[in-house]
Amino acid sequence: MNRALAATLGRHKRELPPAAALVAVLLAVLMAAPSFFGASNLRDLALNNASVLIVALGMTLVILVGEIDISVGSQFAVCSVVAGLLSKAGMPIALVPVVVLLVGAAMGAVNGFLVGLLGLPSIIVTLAMLVAWRDALRWATEGAWVQDLPDDFQWFGLAPAAAQTLIVVAAIVVLVLGGWALRNLQVGRSLYAVGSDEEAARLAGIEPRRVVFGVFTVTGALVGLAAVLNAVRFNAVPSNAGLGLELTAVAAVVVGGTAITGGRGTVLGTLIGVLLLGTIGTAMTYVGISPFWAKAIQGLIILAALVADAALARFERHGSVLGRRAVAAR
Amino acid sequence: MAVSSVAAPSPPADAAANAPLAERLFPNNEWVLLVVIAVECLVFGMAGHNFATSGNAFEITRLGVEIGLLALALTPIIVTGGIDLSVGSMMGLAAIVLGWLWRDVGLPMPIAVALTLLLGVAGGALNAVLITRLKFPPLIVTLGTLSLFRGIAEGVTGGIQHYSGFPASFLHLGQGYVGGIVPTQLFIFVAAAIAAAWWLHRTSFGRALYAIGHSAEGARYAGIPVSRRVGVVYVLSGLAASLAAVIYVAHLGQAKSDAGTGYELMAITAVVLGGASIFGGRGTVLGTVLGLFSIVLLQNGLRLTGQPAELSGILTGVLLVATIMVDLLSRQTKARPTTTTHSTIATEQDEVRNSQVAVLSAVILAGSLIVAASNWALVKSIRQGAGGGASQVSGTLPDSAGSTAQTANGAKPVVALMPKAKGDPYFISARKGADSAANALHVELLWDGPTDLDPAKQNEVVEAWITRGVNAIAVSVENKEAISTVLRKARQRGIKVVTWDADAEKDARDFFVNQATPQGIGYTLTDEAARIMGGQGEFAIITASLSAANQNEWIKYIRERLKKYPGMTLVAIQPSEGDRDRAFAETQTVLKVHPKVKVVMAIAAPAVPGAAEAVKQSGRTDVKVTGLSLPNMCRPYIKSGVIESIVLWNTMDLGALAVRTAQALTTGELKAGATKLDAGKMGTFEVVGDEVRLGAPFVFNKSNIDNFNF
Repeated sequence: MNRALAATLGRHKRELPPAAALVAVLLAVLMAAPSFFGASNLRDLALNNASVLIVALGMTLVILVGEIDISVGSQFAVCSVVAGLLSKAGMPIALVPVVVLLVGAAMGAVNGFLVGLLGLPSIIVTLAMLVAWRDALRWATEGAWVQDLPDDFQWFGLAPAAAQTLIVVAAIVVLVLGGWALRNLQVGRSLYAVGSDEEAARLAGIEPRRVVFGVFTVTGALVGLAAVLNAVRFNAVPSNAGLGLELTAVAAVVVGGTAITGGRGTVLGTLIGVLLLGTIGTAMTYVGISPFWAKAIQGLIILAALVADAALARFERHGSVLGRRAVAAR
Repeated sequence: MAVSSVAAPSPPADAAANAPLAERLFPNNEWVLLVVIAVECLVFGMAGHNFATSGNAFEITRLGVEIGLLALALTPIIVTGGIDLSVGSMMGLAAIVLGWLWRDVGLPMPIAVALTLLLGVAGGALNAVLITRLKFPPLIVTLGTLSLFRGIAEGVTGGIQHYSGFPASFLHLGQGYVGGIVPTQLFIFVAAAIAAAWWLHRTSFGRALYAIGHSAEGARYAGIPVSRRVGVVYVLSGLAASLAAVIYVAHLGQAKSDAGTGYELMAITAVVLGGASIFGGRGTVLGTVLGLFSIVLLQNGLRLTGQPAELSGILTGVLLVATIMVDLLSRQTKARPTTTTHSTIATEQDEVRNSQVAVLSAVILAGSLIVAASNWALVKSIRQGAGGGASQVSGTLPDSAGSTAQTANGAKPVVALMPKAKGDPYFISARKGADSAANALHVELLWDGPTDLDPAKQNEVVEAWITRGVNAIAVSVENKEAISTVLRKARQRGIKVVTWDADAEKDARDFFVNQATPQGIGYTLTDEAARIMGGQGEFAIITASLSAANQNEWIKYIRERLKKYPGMTLVAIQPSEGDRDRAFAETQTVLKVHPKVKVVMAIAAPAVPGAAEAVKQSGRTDVKVTGLSLPNMCRPYIKSGVIESIVLWNTMDLGALAVRTAQALTTGELKAGATKLDAGKMGTFEVVGDEVRLGAPFVFNKSNIDNFNF
């Protein structure tokens, strides 16, 4: 029993620091403002962070293979507007998520083609796409919102409670499926292989370029799903959705202990990262801290996660946090 | 990453017969950028107004200096295989520290500047320590400090505080000319560029950075102190960012915590466009400078040809991908890499087949076709005299080489109208009114401005209009201090200047089209809230961003008016960042933390429907929403009673009145001392002093909402 526990802890030691931070924050809030844990607040937090979680899960896959995708915020905006336009054009609401998922996957595939198949650097490709999709959308919509949507758009035409459950369940299903596939499926393991050592992965019979292409495409699809789940909570679609979403997603993934260099990380860590960054703002309001400091605190959390990660790595290597300086230059 | 290392600089694809000089000058195919710049000059020179003038050439350089300095600092960083995302935020922090040292501490300007530069060094050193001592990936460290620096700047200023009124001698640094035509800051940039080029390409220190970029481990075995070298590069980046902040403050005449937002991405784009490899080991200062100018030229050229600014983002993206693709292709077809540290790329490149080259060529061809097609469309639309307005009737362009009114000889006067942000629904509805007024008055209307709130961009657009030559400029001012200098310059050139929606300094414009004073708005909002809640109880405000100048001004008057209602308490002010979803979440939290709140007052257009949806979903029928928004956006909520009322004026009329005022100035119908202005179908408007009054703010509610459609 103890050994099993130790093994579990050992396997998840990268998630320990953020988990500890999350527990600390929650404890502090529990003492200062217990009403934070009211059912309606927890429900709202879950709904508001469900789509961020789905995008961050996609980002986890991308970072696991050693790439990055900073175009997710712009893709999110395009997908949201497309969802609104399709519904307004009379497409049945059940079909909308499917089509938007495909639109997202297509945008992801463009990234995947340029990065995976042509071998261009992902940070540059997705930087270009970040600017291009966002400006193309601005040009097309001229900033106008998609309004006067059919009645069945909001909450998929279901009862709000049912749709809310559906949204949260969808996020959890994606989370669990992703975590399971990464651990147990060959294709999931190949992500770690490619991210750890592309050459070794290739020699082991994995096609790294196809894996990278697939990962970007899947991430695009997840962004599409997240966009729909977010959009249906309202009865209009703004044209500037998802501003800064890429930074939130990357930050959540990294805070959750996934190595930015690829090959290490879990979806559990990402869940913790999203919970930590997603609740801190609300928690601050509950405790009564001025929102002016929100950004500074977010930056501190990211840096603290790094320091914790480094301390952990040193502890492993030298048995003490203050062990002798690492040998490798980087 | 997919491409984990790069071969040593190889000659350009078509340079087999070229002298080694070309190779030495352009080790990374930077000649591609010269072609791009030449094409841009050719296209914009033909299509644009006054694009190819020496005045414009120098103005363009002024606009590029701040981003250029960041790009220069990023070049060595990217050469070592690192990245620094925090430079833009560092600018924000440095800007407010400069203002604080000068105004609140009372230090003389030179000392304040010196201390600000020291702060930049300290910020850079923080990055350097985290990256070189603690061995963190630069991307993550600087992502953290990106939030941290901006957060501190917003935290200490409360987002509201800003500094202005700097001495003229300091402002000369950013606004003045040397010899009447060369912008002052250009000298700083040229000096910095030469120093950077010498340092990076002509010293052993600089060469060491390339070695580190190729292989840090190898460099260490070769005796290079890797950590120290890399650390210095990040410290210099902090220094460059604070220098850029000093110039930015001098340029805009104002220091605020939002200085340099998003500049990091533009600087990185310039560096990568200039042929630097994001994986390190490759990149030149010359390339960076060329990359910078190809972007700046593109933006300026699009402005002068009256094309939508959004095109520049799309074209920059295409350009970026096309450039790295050309680079990759030439590397693959030319000299096969002989030695690489990892064998991945070597193996993959050896396997490049003709079919793959064909695919690459096809993609590049497609990319250039898109660029060419958009350029062609651009020239064509210019010939037809489009000003960006969809309802524009085609006609010939006035010869506006000079900027005097030309109504006498039958040409249409050109009126340029600028919103605070183009994508904002508020301004989109103003544009509708402006378009129809322009049609009725036979005026050619130019519509351009920042895509998001950005005072620096506003200056840039006005500069472009001065160069292009227009008859009148009408600006909705984001930032008073920042824009007044350039508006005065426009007046000196004989252009009539109108401000609308928000005013500049009085001597910087002829007339102000005043829709409502901040006092009027603040008082009306407070009175409306008091009416709904019977003058008793708690209410909360959802604002735009915490540093939004307008909203903060309104909040000031709301607080002032509250003295009249002692029973009312303002319990929270939460930011929405102009994002409906954020306003939604903030309202949910406010309702739970302050359950006694009876009214949520949202004072940014997208925040009102967000707040209303949150109230509706909470099922709290005892809470009402009011605020400042557009009727169309709020219609369903007003009808269902969640939103009790919204306060606004007729924004379409506002846009139309701005155009009418500008046009009346060019024809001489409106002169100083006038008491009224006849605006045809809209009626007659009162002129008080140098203000044209639209009338009092209007309260929209269930009973009258259907009479309005904007």
